[in-house]
Amino acid sequence: MSAAQTRRIRFSLVMLLLVGLQFYVRPRLGNPRVAPDFLMLGLMIFAIRSRPGAAAFAGFLIGFASDALTPARFGAAMLANTLVGYAAAWGRAVFFADNLLVNAGFIAAGVWLRDLLVLVASGASGKELLIQLGVWSPLLALTTAVTGVLVLAIFRDWLDIRLEE
Amino acid sequence: MLAPDRTFARRDTALFILCVALSVGALFAPETWQFAMASSARSTALAPLIALQRRAESSRTSRARFDVLTAQRDSASVAAQSLPVLLDENHQLRALLGLAERLPRPLMSAEVLHQALPTDGRTLLLSAGRQSGIVPFQAVVAPEGLLGFVLTAGSTTSVVLTWAHPDFRASAVTLDGSVTGIISVTADASIREPMLELRGVPYRDSVPAGTAVITSGLGGVYPRGLPIGTVVGVVRQSEGWERVYLVRPAAAPARVSHVLIISAGTVWPGQAPPEDSLP
Repeated sequence: MSAAQTRRIRFSLVMLLLVGLQFYVRPRLGNPRVAPDFLMLGLMIFAIRSRPGAAAFAGFLIGFASDALTPARFGAAMLANTLVGYAAAWGRAVFFADNLLVNAGFIAAGVWLRDLLVLVASGASGKELLIQLGVWSPLLALTTAVTGVLVLAIFRDWLDIRLEE
Repeated sequence: MLAPDRTFARRDTALFILCVALSVGALFAPETWQFAMASSARSTALAPLIALQRRAESSRTSRARFDVLTAQRDSASVAAQSLPVLLDENHQLRALLGLAERLPRPLMSAEVLHQALPTDGRTLLLSAGRQSGIVPFQAVVAPEGLLGFVLTAGSTTSVVLTWAHPDFRASAVTLDGSVTGIISVTADASIREPMLELRGVPYRDSVPAGTAVITSGLGGVYPRGLPIGTVVGVVRQSEGWERVYLVRPAAAPARVSHVLIISAGTVWPGQAPPEDSLP
C-alpha cells in the first residue's frame, strides 16, 4: 500500500470517527445548542487540506444531511455549508493556518458564519437573530473549536496537517 | 499556495457554482419536493445514523435528567391523587346528562433527536414514525405544554413543526375562556427561548399579566385545554381595534427530550361532546 493510500485511509477514518461522534456522543453532551458540532468540525478540517471545489461539494453534502434532519428551511444549510466550505478552503491559502490556535479560530469562525447564513436564509430577524448570533452561536463555535484543537492535536499525523511546534 | 493550475481553479469554480445553484434550487423548490427529498434521505442514507442517535438518546442516563424525570413523576403522582374523585364525578354527570363514555385513544411517545443547526427548535426530528401510528397533523405536547404538530411522518421518524416556526398558528383562549385569539411566534425573543404573541384580542378585552393561555380546540388539530403559556404583557395595540399580548411559552422545543403525540380524534375532558350525543 502506497503512502498516499495510507494517508487517505487514515483521513477517512478520522472523518468517520467525527460522524460517529456527532450521532452517538453529541446527544449525551448536554444542551444540544452548545454541544460541539462534529460534522461542521469535519467539514472545516476537510476544507483546510482540500481544494475549494471539493470543500464546497463536501459542504453541500453535509448541508443536505443537516437539512434532511432539520427541515425548518430546506436548502438553507446546503447553501450555508457550501459557502463556508469554499471560503474555508480559500481562507486556508490566505492565512497559512499552521498554528493550532489560528486553526481553532478558523473553525470557530466557520461555525459562526454557518449559523449566520442559515438564520438569514431561514428568515430569522430581530431579537431572536441577535440572541442566537450573540449568545448561542459563539458558545457552539467555542466548544467546536476546543474539540477541533483536541482532534488536530491527537490526529495531526493522520490528518496530514502541518502545525507549528 | 493553492490553485497553481488554471484547470483545477476552473473546476473548483464550476463545482462551487453547481453546488450553490443546487442549494438555491432546493431553497425555492415546492414544499412537497422538499419534504420528499428530506424524507427519502432520512429513510435511506441517513437511516443508520438516525438509528445510532436514537440509541444514544435512549441510553442517555445522566443524573440531571434522572432528577428532572423524578420531579415530573412526583408532580404527576400528586395530580393523579385527585383523579379518582374527578373520574367518579365525571361518570355521574355523564350518566345524568345521558352522555356516552369517552372513547379511550392511545397517546404515542417519542424521543426528540436534536440536531446542531440553529433552526433546530423550529422543527424537531422524532424517533417514531408511521410504524408507531404517527400521521401528519397530530398534536405534539411536552410535559409542560403544547409544542406543535406533526408536519411529515416517515416510516420510523417524523418531523414536528413547533410553535417557534414562523408558519405556526394555533387558536388560543385564556384559562377562564373569556378571551380568544391566535397564537404565533414573535421576533421579541428572550435569552432562553423565542416568545409567543396572542393576536386578535378585541381592544375592549384586557388580559392581566400571569393569565394562563390554552388551546381553544378550534381548528381540529389541537384539542382544547393544552397549556400554551402565560401572558407577560401587551406588545402593541391598534387603537380601537385589537391588542397583541406577549406570551411566555410553557414548553421549550430546544430543550425538550421526550414528547407525546396525541392521536387524531382523542377526546379530552374539556372538549365539547358530539352533537348527536346531546339529549
